Amino acid sequence: MTDCGCEKAKAELEEYLHNELRKEDAIDIREHLEHCPDCRNEHHVGRTLTEVMQRACKETAPEVLRDQVLLRLRAIQSAH
Amino acid sequence: MTVSTLMERTTVTSRGVDGLQLPVMTTDTTDMRDLFEAQAMPFIDQLYAAAMRMTRNPSDAQDLVQETFVKAFASFTQFEQGTNLKAWLYRILTNTFINTYRKKQREPYQGTIDDLEDWQLGGAESTTATSSRSAEAEAIDHLPDSAVKDALQSIPEDFRLAVYFADVEGFSYQEIAEIMKTPIGTVMSRLHRGRRLLRELLAGYALERGLGTGQGAPIKKTSGSTGK
Repeated sequence: MTDCGCEKAKAELEEYLHNELRKEDAIDIREHLEHCPDCRNEHHVGRTLTEVMQRACKETAPEVLRDQVLLRLRAIQSAH
Repeated sequence: MTVSTLMERTTVTSRGVDGLQLPVMTTDTTDMRDLFEAQAMPFIDQLYAAAMRMTRNPSDAQDLVQETFVKAFASFTQFEQGTNLKAWLYRILTNTFINTYRKKQREPYQGTIDDLEDWQLGGAESTTATSSRSAEAEAIDHLPDSAVKDALQSIPEDFRLAVYFADVEGFSYQEIAEIMKTPIGTVMSRLHRGRRLLRELLAGYALERGLGTGQGAPIKKTSGSTGK
């Protein structure tokens, strides 16, 4: 089995992270990451970046907004 | 909304909803609204979160979400059941934001941001050594949510939206291209540059807060612009 090398891995790491690679390419990258601590660390930073954003951006719509939306929908409907 | 458009719609929906357990064989406007509410309302938290990142304040975010639902309901007959409702709602949200709210904001439209060279955006390719990079991930991981939101808020809008759609919402590049009405190559470039700017900003915050990167005493970063 031949390693795809750091150059290919680094170039495609972001697409790998976002599940955008074709299956065969994703397998190449996954195998490279298993053997290359450097790229593995780089991938770890990338994944962490995604995770902290998901964590930080959680919001719950205010109850009043929910009510307003439902009211507006009802108003539109009764106008027709 | 006329009965005839509803009749047409009924034909379409009954074809494309396999697996959906919603009343589709209806010609009644109440049921139409019920269907819309049942399908679209579950996205209100996510749409509000996206609107918060777009408008940067709760009051505008609420207005934007309300407009989005009103517009979506008004054109719900054009939505093809069985296709991606979430992406469809985000397209309306993004359009509404660009056409209404962006104009009101002080920040000028950054239409040419994609043309800027990387050096004009500040920062450089990461040359951090491996050992400090694992520490970098840990430092970023320990940052408070407010720091992450600040960083997102301070990168150019088109980058921010692309990053938000990909990383927070998990949209595919193709879906983002459709939502933002740009070629996929532009999406990839915005994502790459947006993520790099974010990473630099967050690493900078971590340094300031003394969440070291494994290099001993925190040294003030001297890489110049952090995108402010």
